[in-house]
Amino acid sequence: MHDYITVLPDTSRGERTRMEQLFVPTLVAFTSTVACLAGAKVWGLSCKRLLEAVGKMLEGVGLTAILFVFNVAVGAIAILGARSLLSDSVSLYLAADITLLPLSLLQALAIQWWHQLSKVPAS
Amino acid sequence: MRGAMGLRVLGLMAVLAFVMSAFTQMPNLMASSTRPRPRLDPADAIVVLAGGIHQDGALTASSLRRAVHGISLHRKDQAKFLVLSGPPAAGGPAEAAVRSNLARELGVPAEALLTEEEVWTTRQEAARIWRLLQARGARRIILVTDSQHMPRAQAVFERAGFEVVPSEADDVSRAAADPEERLRLARRIVQEYIARLYYRLAGYL
Repeated sequence: MHDYITVLPDTSRGERTRMEQLFVPTLVAFTSTVACLAGAKVWGLSCKRLLEAVGKMLEGVGLTAILFVFNVAVGAIAILGARSLLSDSVSLYLAADITLLPLSLLQALAIQWWHQLSKVPAS
Repeated sequence: MRGAMGLRVLGLMAVLAFVMSAFTQMPNLMASSTRPRPRLDPADAIVVLAGGIHQDGALTASSLRRAVHGISLHRKDQAKFLVLSGPPAAGGPAEAAVRSNLARELGVPAEALLTEEEVWTTRQEAARIWRLLQARGARRIILVTDSQHMPRAQAVFERAGFEVVPSEADDVSRAAADPEERLRLARRIVQEYIARLYYRLAGYL
């Protein structure tokens, strides 16, 4: 007997409209434009340096990615070590905790600023 | 200078991966590509894998969905036994015990229920449930877990000696449509790819 199982309903909330799907990207595009205009008009920031700033942001994201992988790898090694020494009751999923991502971002920001400020003589 | 350029390229790749995961159908397509074809086939036992429990005894969404799916299959007379797996949360009740209570409340007879609490990994679940069911002459099982976990779980249970009929119960939909849900789905896919790689390297698959 072969048949499809339909025991539980799918967890999908149904097809979203194109407008709903575009809401978040459009919102962020709008607020980014407002922030750019405010930066240029209110604070007199140079538009030419915006590209440089985006480059710096990408460096920060790249550093975050490296630190995230490093955190996960060290966490996994520590858990595997604890498992072999103590007990199997420690889950490897702990090393993939979502909080590692924002924490890696904070680490990256601190390192990026540390690097930046080290170039400037202390006042 | 070269280091900074490398970081920028890596950062750009990370941003693109984020955008693709949150705002495109990529995770949905990846999730669908790994989906085994569901079948309704009677077996000796229904085995519901652990999904997590909170310290206060509340089952996680994943655990509850899998348990209800297994109970529903049992109520449709798909197997004689219903095996509910799951260790205790620190200082709290065991997931298997809480699920067993739920199954009884939903009409599964006590003599059909089997529980396995001392399991923290899929491999341990396969080994211990094999011992539990071998004593009862049960070899053919309906395996209940989420669709991302299923290929690894099925392989491990088949290696333990079972004949496996997969039956999925997903808490993160493959049809996830908003960015947050898609990110959860993408995370689940990546997590399972890494777990599969680990199982292969360790020689468990």
